[in-house]
Amino acid sequence: MYRYIYVIPEAIGRSVLKMCASIGRIAIFFYDFVVSLFTPPFYIKSLLNQLVRIGYNSLPVIGLTAFFTGGVLALQIYVGGSRFNAENIVASIVALGITRELGPVIAGLMLAGRVSASISAEIATMRVTEQIDALITLSTNPMKYLVVPRVLAAVISLPILVIIADIIGIMGGFVVGTKTLGFIEQSYIKNTLDIIELHDVMSGLIKAAVFGFIVAFMGCYHGYNSTGGAQGVGRSTTLAVVSASILILASNYILTSLVFTN
Amino acid sequence: MDHILKINELSKSFGDKSVLDNLSINIERNKSQVIIGGSGTGKSVLLKCILGLIEPDGGEIFFNQQILNKKNRADIDFHSKIGMLFQGAALFDSLNVQENITFGIKKLDSNHVNLTEIAVDKLKKVGLDSSVLCLYPSELSGGMQKRVALARAIARNPELLFFDEPTTGLDPIMADVINNLINEVIEEVGATAITITHDMESAKKIADNISMLYKGAVIWTGDAVDINSSNNPYVDQFIKGSSEGPIKINPND
Repeated sequence: MYRYIYVIPEAIGRSVLKMCASIGRIAIFFYDFVVSLFTPPFYIKSLLNQLVRIGYNSLPVIGLTAFFTGGVLALQIYVGGSRFNAENIVASIVALGITRELGPVIAGLMLAGRVSASISAEIATMRVTEQIDALITLSTNPMKYLVVPRVLAAVISLPILVIIADIIGIMGGFVVGTKTLGFIEQSYIKNTLDIIELHDVMSGLIKAAVFGFIVAFMGCYHGYNSTGGAQGVGRSTTLAVVSASILILASNYILTSLVFTN
Repeated sequence: MDHILKINELSKSFGDKSVLDNLSINIERNKSQVIIGGSGTGKSVLLKCILGLIEPDGGEIFFNQQILNKKNRADIDFHSKIGMLFQGAALFDSLNVQENITFGIKKLDSNHVNLTEIAVDKLKKVGLDSSVLCLYPSELSGGMQKRVALARAIARNPELLFFDEPTTGLDPIMADVINNLINEVIEEVGATAITITHDMESAKKIADNISMLYKGAVIWTGDAVDINSSNNPYVDQFIKGSSEGPIKINPND
């Protein structure tokens, strides 16, 4: 009976130690990444390949998601606004909501599902099939060859994707607003353009760059440290998507509350 | 005696489990050294320590009389002087055969001259022709993957070649083909070879010298021709493949 007193503190202690070890490993991985980022060789061809894979190939999924998000946002704001006779705010709220919040967050989460999982599975497979060891024996630093191009490509791609997502999302709101809710096209466009400021768009783009880093970095980290064969590949992929998604939402709150509330 | 590689009292543990226990071994230049031993005796860990994929806990490794450690492995450009054939070939999935074979050459030669010619030449040495140059690893059979990996290993004309279980997973005929290829490329490249295997047929065929590992230490070293008369009960049991003898299989190992 006496020994059961220690079970809960022991479990908590183990979890805390495990968490500290994970934070330490991520910090070391980040340090290696930063060192690799600024020291040659630079794999430009690999970076361009990743820009296509991460950026260009994500366009359809980001575009579709943004369109429907803009549309549903218009519908919900119309329903909510009509309770206060404020239906006219639909265009303004859709524009602000998409550019400041939903554009970057939805794009980040979609990229976490699509890209973080793919990066993690690819690098984890390379780890368990000794391809990463083979890179080292061929005088190639895996951090420079695999991690840096992917993270850079995501940091560059996501802001561009978010600009496109902003435009398509606002278009989604416009289509629903004018075709379903009966707004006049000219006034919807005028309300949208009147409310948006450069700061709103820029805040979304800065968030997008941070989210891009999180998505690719988590994919690379979990893939690179994968162990345990096929099961390990699956585990690292799940961890990459879950950790990237949580970090996107957490960093979104922190960025918004610290930097973008004014 | 001229040694290309000297290993002194190398030790490595994972948690409480000691895998390399003050292991010492010297590798003669231009000879084919085979290291045999059962599963879990430390063969792969030894190889990974030499290659710098794992840092040993203690001991020293010397390559051409220069110490090999984390700091100076890049300084002496160790990896450009070696070739490695991995157990599962470890070809890069995203690259075709030519890109795989010449991957390391791009690092050495910034002019990237005659990469196709080099790839074709190396493929020829492993019994393949240029028709496979544009194929991807997933389009090759296991035996062909091993051959392409062998071509990649010899592409930079290395001083030292490593073979990790080169015949594992191959049928006996293909295993013999790979053994012959290993002998041919070692002779042609003029390299020293270190092979780890538990395939005795392969060991006898490709080895000049054989060392046996047991519990993380070298328990016997000698000429390949002497292995059948080693008078070492551990070696005798291993080459006969008998469950009776001093080597006890612990189910927890």
